[in-house]
Amino acid sequence: MQLSTQALTVVRGRTPALDGVSLKLERGDHLQIHGPAGGGKTTLLKALAGLIRPSTGTVRWDALDPWALTSADRRAHQRHLGFVFQSDALFDSLTVEHNVRLPLERRGVPDDEARARAREALERVGLTAAALKRPESLSGGMRKRVGLARAVVTAPEVLLADDPFAGLDPDTEREMAALLLEVASARTLLVALPDPSPALPMPHRRLADGRLE
Amino acid sequence: MTPVHVAGRHWLLLTRTVRALRHQRPPLKLVLAQLDELGTRSIWLVTAGMAFFGAVLTTIAWMQARKYIGNVAFAGPAYFQLLVRELGPVVAALLTASRAGAGASAELAAMSVQEQLEALELSAIDPLSELVAPRLIAATLAVPLLCVVGTVAAALAAAGTVFALGGDGSSFIDPRYLTGGDLLSALAKSLVCGVAIPLAACGRALEARGGAAAVGEAVTAGVVDACLLVLVLDFLVTLVFLGLGL
Amino acid sequence: MNPVRLLGRLVLVVSRGAGALALVLARTLLHLPRLRRHELLRALVHFGFDSLPLSLGVAVLTGATVVLQAGVYAERFGARQYAGWAGGYAVLWEFGPLLLGLLLAARVGARNAAELALLQVGGTLEGLRGISLDPFRLLVAPRVVAATLSVAALAGLTFMVAVVVEATVAFFLLRLPIRVLIDSFADLLTWRDALGGLCKSTAFGLAIAVVSTTIGLRARGGATGVGRAAAASVVAGAFAIFALDFALTGPLTRWLT
Repeated sequence: MQLSTQALTVVRGRTPALDGVSLKLERGDHLQIHGPAGGGKTTLLKALAGLIRPSTGTVRWDALDPWALTSADRRAHQRHLGFVFQSDALFDSLTVEHNVRLPLERRGVPDDEARARAREALERVGLTAAALKRPESLSGGMRKRVGLARAVVTAPEVLLADDPFAGLDPDTEREMAALLLEVASARTLLVALPDPSPALPMPHRRLADGRLE
Repeated sequence: MTPVHVAGRHWLLLTRTVRALRHQRPPLKLVLAQLDELGTRSIWLVTAGMAFFGAVLTTIAWMQARKYIGNVAFAGPAYFQLLVRELGPVVAALLTASRAGAGASAELAAMSVQEQLEALELSAIDPLSELVAPRLIAATLAVPLLCVVGTVAAALAAAGTVFALGGDGSSFIDPRYLTGGDLLSALAKSLVCGVAIPLAACGRALEARGGAAAVGEAVTAGVVDACLLVLVLDFLVTLVFLGLGL
Repeated sequence: MNPVRLLGRLVLVVSRGAGALALVLARTLLHLPRLRRHELLRALVHFGFDSLPLSLGVAVLTGATVVLQAGVYAERFGARQYAGWAGGYAVLWEFGPLLLGLLLAARVGARNAAELALLQVGGTLEGLRGISLDPFRLLVAPRVVAATLSVAALAGLTFMVAVVVEATVAFFLLRLPIRVLIDSFADLLTWRDALGGLCKSTAFGLAIAVVSTTIGLRARGGATGVGRAAAASVVAGAFAIFALDFALTGPLTRWLT
C-alpha cells in the first residue's frame, strides 16, 4: 500500500497540530520522523492510520480516501495498517494473548486460526511464556513488545510506531529496534521518535511546529 | 458554550451511536454488564438518597403545617402525587447521574487518554457501539426502574417519618390524587433522563486528550453536563405535560 | 463471606474513612490562621468564580421548576396566595441547597479531588515534603477553605436569583401577578428561612470540600486512578449531602421556627 498526504492540516483547538504536511511513502519504504514533543508526530501517524480526520488536505491509502468510506469500510481497510501506540494502549482486563488476538476477533477470522496467529505473533516478539498473563504485570519493554505483536497480527502492509522506545533503557531500546526492523522487513515502516535513533539505520526527517522539514 | 451547542453535541452523539448500533450490534454480555453496574451499584445510592430525601420533605412539611395549616395528614395525598410525578423521577435521575455518570466518564476518559479507543478502532471495533451503546441501552432500561425504586423508598420514608413524629403516615402513601397523566409524565421524565445521562457522561470522556489532568476535567464536565441535562429535560417534560393538560 | 468478617470489614472501612475525614478537617482548622493568601485566592477563583454560570443555571432551572409545580397545586386547591410561600419555602429550605449541592459536588468536588489526585500521583506532594515544606498547609488547606466558602457564597446568590426567576415564571406562565407572589413570599417567610438554607449549604460545602480532599489525597495509579478519585468524590459527596440534609433539617427547623 502506498501512503501519502497532500497539504495535510489538522487543527486542534486554535493552533494547528499539523500545518500543510505533504509526504509520500512507497511500499517497503522505511522512514523516521523526529522532532520535539508537541511537534505533531503523533497526529501525523494517527492521520495516516485514519484515526484523526484532516481539517484540510488529504490522506490517501493508494488512491483511496479513508474519509470517503463508511466507518465500517474504513475499519476493514485498517487491517493493512499496524500501529504501535506511545502509551501501549493495552487492555488490562484481557490476557496478553487476547490483547494480541483482538484485531482478528471482529474481522471474521475463525477462532482457531486467530489463536494460532496470535501465538505466532507472540513468538516472534519472544513473549510466548507471558501469553496468559495480564499486561499490567509486565515490564515496560515487554508491554511494548505486546503492542508490536498486536500491530502485526493482521499481517499489515504498513507498520506505524509512535515513540516505541519511550521509557526504555538503552539495552532494551536496542533490542526493541532490532525487533522492529526484523518484524517490519519488507513492510513500509514509519517510526516517530523524539531524536533520531542510531539503532534504526534509515532515512529521517524532522517535524516541528506541525511542519515537515 | 451555549445551550444550543450542548444540545447539538448530545444529539450528534445520539444519532452517531444509533447509526453505529445498526452496523455493529454490541455483545449482549456488555449490555448485561452495564445493567448489572446500574442495578448493583447505583441502586444503593438512589435508595439511600431518596429515603433521606423523603424524610426531609415530610419533616419540613410537618414544621410548616403546625404553623399554618394544622393537620399535616391533609397534605399527604398531594405530597404523594408530587413525589410520583415530579420529585421521584428528577431526584432519582440526579443521583443516578452522579453515580453512573461519574463512573462511565472516569472509565472512558482513562481509556481515551491511554489511546485505547484508537486501539479498538484499529481492531475493527467501533467504540460507539462497544462502549457507548451498551451504556445507553442499559440506562434507558434501568433509569425508569431506578426511579420507581427511589420513589417507593422516598414514599415509605415519608410515611415512616410522619408516624415517628406522631401523625397519620398512611396518608403519605395515599394515591387518591394520582392520575394516569402523572404516571405517564413520570415515565417520560425517567426515560429521557435515561437516554441523556450516558450521552452526557460519555460525550466529554470520548474527547479527553492529554494526560491524567484531562481525565479529571472530563469527569467534572461529564457529571455537570449530566445533572444539568436532567434538570433541563425535566423542566421541558413538565412544560409539555402542562401544555397537554395531562 | 462469613457475616462476622463482613461486619468487621465494614466497621474497619467506616472507621478508617471517618478517621481520614477527621484528620483532613482537623489539619485544615489547625492551619486556618496562616493560610497562604495567594493559593487561597487562586482556589476561590477556580472553585467559586468559575462556577458562577453553572450556579446561575441551576438557580433558573430550580426556580422555574419549583414555581411551576407550586402554581399547579395552588390552582388545583384554589390557594393562589400560597404559591409564593410554597415556592420560596421549597427553594430556600430544600431544593436550592440540595440541587446546588449536587451540582457543586460534581463541579467543585470532582475538580478538587482530580487536582489533588494529580499532585499525589505525579509526586508533587511527596516532593514538597522532601524539601521539608508542608504540602497540607501550602496546597490542601487553602482548597478546603476556598471550596467551603465558594459553595456558601454561591448558595446565597442562587437563592436570590431563584426567587426572582420564580416571580417571572409565575407571571408569564401562570398569569400570577408578581405582587401576589411577592406578598405571600414576604408575609410568610422571614430571614430565618434564608438562614436555614444558608446553614445547610455551608454544611454541604464543607462536606464536599473535606470528602473530595480526603479522596483526592488517597489516589494511586495514573490516569485511571485520577478518574476513579474524581468519580468517587462525586458519589461520596452526593451521599454526604443527602445524609447531612437528613441530619440537619430537624434541628435547624426546630431552632429557626
